[in-house]
Amino acid sequence: MSVSNTLSTASAKPRTRRPATRRQKRDWLFAAGFLAPFMILLLVFQYVPLLVMARNSVYDYSLLNPAAAKFVGLRNFTDMIDYDDAAVSFGVTFLFALGVVVFVIPIAFSLALFLNSKLPARGLVRTMIMLPVVTSSVVVATMWSFLLDPSNGLINGVLNIVGIGNQPFLTSTSQALPALIAMTLWQQVGFGAILFLAGLQGLPVELTEAARIDGATRRQVLWNVTIPLLSRTTLFVVVIMTVFSLQAFAPAFLMTQGGPQDSTNLIVYHIYNSAFIMQQAGYASALSVALLLVVLAISMAQMALLRSRWNY
Amino acid sequence: MKKQHLRRGAMVALVIVVILCCFLAPYAWIVSSSFKNQLTLFNDVTPLSWRAFLPVEGTFENYRTLFARTNVLTALMNTAIVAGGQVALTLLLCSMAAYSLTRIRFPGAKIVFVLILLTFLLPIEAMMVPLYQVVSGLGLSNTLLGVMIPWIASPFGLFLLKQAFEELPVELEDAARIDGAGHVRIFFSIVLPNVKVPMLTLGLITFLFSWNSFLWPLVIIQDPAIQVIQVAIAQQGSPTQLPNWGETFAGATVATVPLILLFLLLQKYFTQGMTTSGIKG
Repeated sequence: MSVSNTLSTASAKPRTRRPATRRQKRDWLFAAGFLAPFMILLLVFQYVPLLVMARNSVYDYSLLNPAAAKFVGLRNFTDMIDYDDAAVSFGVTFLFALGVVVFVIPIAFSLALFLNSKLPARGLVRTMIMLPVVTSSVVVATMWSFLLDPSNGLINGVLNIVGIGNQPFLTSTSQALPALIAMTLWQQVGFGAILFLAGLQGLPVELTEAARIDGATRRQVLWNVTIPLLSRTTLFVVVIMTVFSLQAFAPAFLMTQGGPQDSTNLIVYHIYNSAFIMQQAGYASALSVALLLVVLAISMAQMALLRSRWNY
Repeated sequence: MKKQHLRRGAMVALVIVVILCCFLAPYAWIVSSSFKNQLTLFNDVTPLSWRAFLPVEGTFENYRTLFARTNVLTALMNTAIVAGGQVALTLLLCSMAAYSLTRIRFPGAKIVFVLILLTFLLPIEAMMVPLYQVVSGLGLSNTLLGVMIPWIASPFGLFLLKQAFEELPVELEDAARIDGAGHVRIFFSIVLPNVKVPMLTLGLITFLFSWNSFLWPLVIIQDPAIQVIQVAIAQQGSPTQLPNWGETFAGATVATVPLILLFLLLQKYFTQGMTTSGIKG
């Protein structure tokens, strides 16, 4: 008892440590030297931009002539509220993210169930659904803008076969965003599927087997055992897909230029435009701060949820 | 009973075929069409025939004009340099940092770790404006180093390697230490040779991310002579303003084939890396 007591107090109070030996000091120096390149780059390219962004969000300036910056206080932020563009862009982006998540989750999960089964052609399907994941967003966007072309696109060719006339897709205010969601679903669903697959393979087999022995049908096992057990994986996939969708850029830039009528004006594209085309870098920084806060909020919510409930 | 079995089998087969078509058809169309002239390409789509998915009446004309007329070849080389450099530097810096954090106890390790952990939360692509100012402030705009340098200190890379390093038994190095080996020798001749798979995984993911990155190079490079492949093909044009679809498709094919080959060869490591990462370029 007394032994364990002294041990625990010793480990609980590291501040009473003895002065470092020479060997220790040499080790520390070495550790510092080995860490330094990584930490310097991390500070310069992640933390410094964060500070620069916070500072710039209260200035009015252009990237062409940053020296002529004018302090404007919170005006960039009040502008975000006073003018419609920020609300429209964030709205479009949230809708886009929601659309992606709502479709990716069930489809990726079904694909993962298939990949986890003993059905034929599993390997082939896994390779195929991963191809768009390793294909760049530029190539996917280029590919799809041709697939969706109103007159000579492949998708209209397929629709014509089943008796549906040509659709405008990207040039229509009502179809452009759904088209981008469909494309992103196609691109990301394989990624979601392998994440779910890893989750499924990590499940203890005894639980589902026990339920089957107790007389549960396959469907009951799926709904009452497998899906609840995978809630952490699901949350993980939801957050990844959301954060990824919030940062989508190539589709808006390459396929629609944010249009028609701002219906696909995704926020990162809006930031890019504000900073590099409209030369309103201060306003772009304010938009970036808002986006950062949204992403942080989502990540925090995820961590809070992961820490508290659902410990099956 | 047997009939029901058969019907179920047919259903499953149908679903598999539909899935494969959804994912394969766009690639087949793009690649096949890259070998066709505009007229053949359009005729094969409206009305749609099987010929759209095969390079019938193929020519290399699109590739010839692509390489002669545009900067795609230079861009491919630039991308190879950026991706190669980024992989090498990421592996080196991340493994050195991971060694310090796992093999040496030093004061302040916790603070360092939290600093790294927090960067996971930053949507760094969305911070392109300040990042542009920092990198061009360092005089690195319009350089290939400027394209790769912000991503080298990768928190994901550090975590992947840190995990691998922690799994290595300490006994491995104890013997070497008793023989009087210093940290540098232990790092290079004992630790690194034992984490080949995680290093390969990290290398592949970094390569993928680097090869496919678009927004950052678009922002930081204006000089066409040092452009990377994704930006080069993105600037080729859209369906409405372009006289020749086949040439764009040839560009997309050229930009994609190297990665697809790499993926097909090393699929296991790609998948592993992506499931542990949860992040993707």
